[in-house]
Amino acid sequence: MPVWQQVYEEINDPNFVIICAAEDVGGEAAAGPIFDAANPTYIQVVDVDHIISSAFNFVNVPSSAWVDENGKIVRIDEGTYSKTHAIGEGEQAITFGNDVYTPALKDWVTKGADSEFVQSAEAVTGNIRGHSFDQLKADAAFRLGNLFRAHGQKEKAEVYWQIARELNPDSVNFIRQNLTLTEEGSAGETFMQLMGDYVSEGREYYRPLDL
Amino acid sequence: MAEAFMAYPELRHPFQETPIHPNGSVTVLYQGRTITLSETGGGDNLLIKPEDLGRINGFELKPDGACYADMCIPLNDELLSTTEGEQWFDLTAFADLLEQPWVVDREAGVWSFAEIPAKRKNMMVDAMAPEFEVTDRKGNVVRMADLKGKKALIVTWSSW
Repeated sequence: MPVWQQVYEEINDPNFVIICAAEDVGGEAAAGPIFDAANPTYIQVVDVDHIISSAFNFVNVPSSAWVDENGKIVRIDEGTYSKTHAIGEGEQAITFGNDVYTPALKDWVTKGADSEFVQSAEAVTGNIRGHSFDQLKADAAFRLGNLFRAHGQKEKAEVYWQIARELNPDSVNFIRQNLTLTEEGSAGETFMQLMGDYVSEGREYYRPLDL
Repeated sequence: MAEAFMAYPELRHPFQETPIHPNGSVTVLYQGRTITLSETGGGDNLLIKPEDLGRINGFELKPDGACYADMCIPLNDELLSTTEGEQWFDLTAFADLLEQPWVVDREAGVWSFAEIPAKRKNMMVDAMAPEFEVTDRKGNVVRMADLKGKKALIVTWSSW
């Protein structure tokens, strides 16, 4: 999160806000220290029930929407990285992210509707994922699982999180959040297998970055 | 294979097991809110006191029906009934009418309702940002409507 604070400071526009939502059933205990380390001045939300992801039909993190002064979405559902990141060293190093998103964001904040990166309502609605009855029901099941987890009832939490995963198999958020209950964590072998299947089936967990 | 990662592995099972509501009341979950109802009725369905409707989903009972913003759902005997002089509103029948999914754990007495699709229709039609209400880390309620007049980047992340 330090990266978004830097971007926020560079933009430094009183009519621009960042709402940064941690999709974390672990709550403040899990997300709070990471927020604090960034010393952020933007709006920080610990979104235990994934309200933001559900509202905008996101299936993975980091995802985002640009919303203009009139409440209209002008871009949505892209892998939202402020820069290219690198993990590891040498042959083991992997990189992710890009260096084009932040300049595009800054261009939009400066130029508004005249920015070349603003998309039409038609393009935006075409990029919004559908949210079927079953996917909405998955949200309800997921939140029921969260309540049980918060009350220390892990077995029941798993029952409802599993229902959520089955009702909305496109949600990487649900898969990875569920895996946090396991010893291998959210990026272990199971996750890698699931993501391999996800990609091989031609599904996208972000819209292709069109910048 | 990537190494297993979790920022705070000690938080996998962080909480002591506690009953959800030891006093026998009913819990309703809706859009991040947890509402405890001390008075409910019904068998398979969830009947609530009409005055509790607003604090659950924002709808108000008016002469035209159950209303939210410019939407009013006409009432019928199934939705609003009277038993032994007490009025009850059938929240599950209302949800079904609105095609609003719900999940119940009857053993624990918890009903979890998804978002009402009609509240989100403008996003799919003309790209208007959906309503949402969340609480920030300072305790302030943040609503989409409060952001009017400003550009906003709404971005998600996670610790996991």
